[in-house]
Amino acid sequence: NEAEEILNRIKNHKGVVGILVVNSEGLIIKSTFDEQQSDLHATLLTQLSDKARDVVRELDPQNDISFLRLRSKKHEIMIAPDKEYTLIVVQDPYAHKDSS
Amino acid sequence: TATRAQSGLLERAGSAGVAVLATGGVASGPGPGRPGPLQDETLGVASVPSQWRAVQGIREETKSCQTASIATANASAQARNHVDAQVQTEAPVPVSVQPLSRYDVPRLAAFLRRVEAMVIRELNKNWQSHAFDGFEVNWTEQQQMVSCLYTLGYPPAQAQGLHVTGISWNSTGSVVACAYGRLDHGDWSTLKSFVCAWNLDRRGLSPRQPSAVVEVPSAVLCLAFHPTQPSHVAGGLYSGEVLVWDLSRPEDPLLWRTGLTDDTHTDPVSQVAWLPEPEHSHRFQVLSIATDGKVLLWRGVGAGQLQLTEGFALVMQQLPRSTKLKKHPRGETEVGATAVAFSSFDPRLFILGTEGGFPLKCSLAAGEAALTRMPSSVPLRAPAQFTFSPHGGPIYAVSCSPFHRNLFLSAGTDGHVHLYSMLQAPPLTSLQLSLKYLFAVRWSPVRPLVFAAASGEGDVQLFDLQKSSQKPTVLIKQTQDESPVYCLEFNSQQTQLLAAGDAQGTVKVWQLSTEFTEQGPREAEDLDLLAAEVAT
Repeated sequence: NEAEEILNRIKNHKGVVGILVVNSEGLIIKSTFDEQQSDLHATLLTQLSDKARDVVRELDPQNDISFLRLRSKKHEIMIAPDKEYTLIVVQDPYAHKDSS
Repeated sequence: TATRAQSGLLERAGSAGVAVLATGGVASGPGPGRPGPLQDETLGVASVPSQWRAVQGIREETKSCQTASIATANASAQARNHVDAQVQTEAPVPVSVQPLSRYDVPRLAAFLRRVEAMVIRELNKNWQSHAFDGFEVNWTEQQQMVSCLYTLGYPPAQAQGLHVTGISWNSTGSVVACAYGRLDHGDWSTLKSFVCAWNLDRRGLSPRQPSAVVEVPSAVLCLAFHPTQPSHVAGGLYSGEVLVWDLSRPEDPLLWRTGLTDDTHTDPVSQVAWLPEPEHSHRFQVLSIATDGKVLLWRGVGAGQLQLTEGFALVMQQLPRSTKLKKHPRGETEVGATAVAFSSFDPRLFILGTEGGFPLKCSLAAGEAALTRMPSSVPLRAPAQFTFSPHGGPIYAVSCSPFHRNLFLSAGTDGHVHLYSMLQAPPLTSLQLSLKYLFAVRWSPVRPLVFAAASGEGDVQLFDLQKSSQKPTVLIKQTQDESPVYCLEFNSQQTQLLAAGDAQGTVKVWQLSTEFTEQGPREAEDLDLLAAEVAT
C-alpha cells in the first residue's frame, strides 16, 4: 500500500516523535499517537492550521498557505495542509544532540 | 497742575531767570528763547479706565428654575408560582475518543505523494539546523535567586514550644496549612495542639494570624489536604486517631473522626493521604499509616464517623525475601510504617518507608491475609511485594517521581537520600546530604531531575541532578539556630513556591528561582537514562 509506505518512511525519519493524518473535518485517518494524544493533536492543530490559512489569505487574497511549522521548547510541529487531508508531523530536533 | 502752581510761585518771586524756568515747564520742542532738549518736563496725566470685572461692576439678572414635579404611583407585585431548582457541578467525565474514520485510499496516497518530498526536506533541515541553538524564550519573569516570600507562625503554638510537624497545600494552591505537634521523643499524649491555615491569595495576609485555626486535643503529626475540595484537610494524631476538618466552617470544623475503636491505630499516625475510591474516582478515602504496622483505609459515613473499609498489616515473616534483613531485636513481628508515597502511574501501587530502614513496594490489590493478631473489623492483608535494600536507620520520607514510573526517593535518620528503581533492590544512588537526620524529601512537580530535602541542621537542600549529582544546587538556611526543618511541600499549582516547616513553629514559603520551575527540553529523557542505569 503506497500510502502506508510513505507514512512509514516519514515515521522512521530521524527524530520523528509521531505523525497524524486528518481529513478536512479534522477527523483522524491515521495516527501513531495514543488515543488521547491523537485527539488533542487533531483538534488543536486543525484549528491552528485553519487560522493560519485565514491569516495568509487575509493578508493577500491571492496567496495561500503551503506549510506551517511551529517550534516549541521541546519539539517542532510541521503541518502540511491540503484540500482533503492534512499531514501533521512532530519531530524532536534535539534527539541526537545528547552530549550530557 | 503742579506746573501751574510752580509758575505762580516763581512769578511772585519776580526774577527773569525764573520766568525762563517757568516757560520751560510747557511741553514744546527747542526753539528761540526756549530751553534745550535735555530738560525735565512734566506731562499731563493720562489715565486708562480699568477693565477688571470687579471695578466695572457685575451685571446681574435673576432667574430661577424648578424641576418638574415627579409623578409617583403605588403598585404591588407578588410572585404566585415558584419552583425550586438545584445546581450541582459534576466531576468532569473523561472525553470519549473518536474512532479512526474511513477514507478513500487512492486519494490519500495521492495526497501523501504530493506532500512527502516537502515534509522530508523540512525534517532534514530541522535535523541539521543550528538556527535555534542557544535560542531561549522567556515567558515568565526571571527570578535569579531563591527568596523567602512569607514567614508564617501561630504565636500561641510557638509559645508552647510546638514544632511544625506537617505541611500541605490545598487543591487550588492558594492555602497552606500546617500541623503543630512535637516530633522529638517524649510522652506527648496530653499535649494540645493546632492546625493553622493561611490563605496566601487574600489581601491583608497577616503572617502571625492564620485565616483558619483548629484546636486539636492531641498533637497532630501529619496533614494532607483533599485533592479536589479546597477546604477539607485530614490529620493524623499522636493518639492514633485520624480526623478530617472543613476549614471553611470556623465554628465547627470537625467533619469526620475515627474515634478510639479497635480499628484505630495503637501508635501515633505517621502519615495520612487521600486516595480515589476504586469505583467512584471523584470520591476519596483517607489512608493512614502508623508505627504499629497497620495501613488503613477509611471512608466517611453517617454522622461524622470514619469507617474502616480496608486494612493491611506489615508482618516481619511475610516480607518478601528480596533483601536480607536483620532480625528485629525485640522479636516483635510488626514492622512500623513511617512514610508512604503513591505512584503517579499506577494508583494501586505504593511505597512504604519503615522503621527498619527498608522501603517496601506494596499494592492495594494484594490478597494474602496478614498473619497478625491485631483486632480489626475488616480482614487485614499483607501488602508488601518487594523489599528494597535498607538505609542505616529508620526512613522518615519517601517520594515517587511524577515523571518516571520506576523511580522513587527515600530519606531517613542516616542523613542519606537513596534513589531507587522499583526494578532492583539496591539503590541507584545514595547521597549523603546531612550529618544529622533527614526529615523530608520531595520530587519537584515540574522538573523531572529536581528534588528537595529537609535536614536536621535547619536547611532545605535543592538538588538538580542535571547540574550535579554530588552536592545540592541551592542550600536554603531556614532556621538561624540550626533547629531542624521537619517538613516541606512543593505547590503543584504555583510551581515556584515551596513551603517548609521547622522546629521553631515557623512555616516559610520560599519562592524558587526560575531554573527550578522551567523544564529543560530533554529533561524527561535524561531522567529515563538515569533510571536505565539498572545494574544487571
